[in-house]
This record gives sequence, C-alpha cells and structure tokens, in this order.
Amino acid sequence: MSSLKFLKCFMCIAFVSGMVVLAGLGFIYSGYYPMGADSKHTKLTYWALETLRERSISRAAQNIEVPADLDIPARLLRGGSDYAAMCAGCHLVPDKMNSDFTLGLYPEPPNLTLNHSGHDEPKVVQAREYFWIIKHGIKASGMPAWGAGHTDEQIWNLVAFLQRLPELSPEQYQILSAQGSSSSRNH
Amino acid sequence: MKRQFLSYFVALPALMLALSAQAHSPEEHINKGQAPNCAAMKDMDHSKIDMNDPVMQAMMQKCMPQDEAASEDGHPSHDMEADAYKPAEHQH
Repeated sequence: MSSLKFLKCFMCIAFVSGMVVLAGLGFIYSGYYPMGADSKHTKLTYWALETLRERSISRAAQNIEVPADLDIPARLLRGGSDYAAMCAGCHLVPDKMNSDFTLGLYPEPPNLTLNHSGHDEPKVVQAREYFWIIKHGIKASGMPAWGAGHTDEQIWNLVAFLQRLPELSPEQYQILSAQGSSSSRNH
Repeated sequence: MKRQFLSYFVALPALMLALSAQAHSPEEHINKGQAPNCAAMKDMDHSKIDMNDPVMQAMMQKCMPQDEAASEDGHPSHDMEADAYKPAEHQH
C-alpha cells in the first residue's frame, strides 16, 4: 500500500517536473524573452546571476599565487599603459563618470576608478580575483578573456595598476598611462 | 585543386595565428595618442609627496628621461621637478 502511494507521488513529481521543463523550453523557443541590453533583468534574475558570478570567481581564484613584487613602479607603468589601451573605455578613467560603453552595456561595467564600498576584501583576494577575471573574462557580460593573447605577467601588471587606480588623480593617471620614454627602459 | 585547398587550409590558420600575435604585442598597448604631461607634477603639493610610494616612483621614472633629454639638448631641466625628486627631509 505504501509502495503504491510512493509510486503515485513519484509519478506526480515527474509529471510536474516534465511540465516545468516543457514550459521552459516553450518559453525559450517562443522568442518572447527580451534580449535587448536596454531591457533590465528582474531583481531576482539579477541577484541570481550576480551571486553565480561572484561565487564562481571566488572559488576559481582562491588558489592563485600573487607575485610578491606586485607593487613595484615598473608594473604600474606597464599596467597603466595597458589599462588605457584595453580597459579605460569600459572601466573609465579618474574624473570621468561614464562613456558610451558604460551607458550601453548591460550589466554596466564597474567603474574601477572608484573604491567599491561593498568589496572590503583583503588586497590579496582582490588581486587574485582581478587576475582571474582579466585572464578568463566573464560570459555574456562584454568582459573578454584577455588571457588568450596576453601573458600572465602582462595581466599581473594590469592587476598592480588596478589596485592603485582608485587613489590616482587625473594628472597621475595621465602620466602613468601615457606613452613615455621610460617604457623602453622598463620593457 | 586539391593542393590549392590544402594550401588554404594551412595558410589561413597560420595567418590568423600571426595576426593574433601581432595584435597583442606590448607595443600595441602603448597609448600612442598622448605623451605624459610631466608639467602637472609641478602643481602637486610637495609636502604630501611620499618618495617611497610606488606611484610617485613610477611617475618619476616616466618623467625623468624627458628631463634628462632636455638637459642634453641644452635646456635646463625643471628645478621644481628636480626638487620634487629629492627625498623630503621629514622622511629621514
């Protein structure tokens, strides 16, 4: 008797699950999902995607070894030049609050010239996560995987620069990121 | 015909590999549009300059060669910047 009840219950769950899967597939194929970047996610979707991203990056980056010489001037110079060429369009420069990319991309790329109050993580953790994100990119966000064409050293230079970027004045940023005769000395 | 197809098959990936290597050479990343505005260092509050700060050291590395070059050309280097590069006395 109890096994019959169990079977009925199992059939019921299997039916409901099947309907949910079919409904999901129906929605995907219907074309009703608003795909435009100017159509925002619901709060629940945004939370789910953000949590998925943060947890995934945190787990993947936890064992990355950070170079001991991350804060040397040569890294800041090389990283500054690369930041201006590769990142500034989306992640901005000191005293600039938006660009065509920040206005148009969704999710909006973070402004890396600002200190993010919600991210009071230790510098070493931040360095690991920056490195992982730059190297591997983030799916469906506009963030490319720069590791495909860049060495780890180039990426660490960027990380070194990013860690000091929120403290830089526009004048300091300009000097560090512009082309200079010292670059040949450093390369 | 078959040979031509094979040559495309080999040449195309080789070309793409070469182009991708070119596109990511460090020189490609140098901000070629602007020279460093080292004159801005004059306006900085020198009492707040920390010579041990890697940012300041990096800025000096960037700007010093320009000053050296200017001196070689017979033009005096900026005294103000030269002063800025001296370690502040209170740091000793």
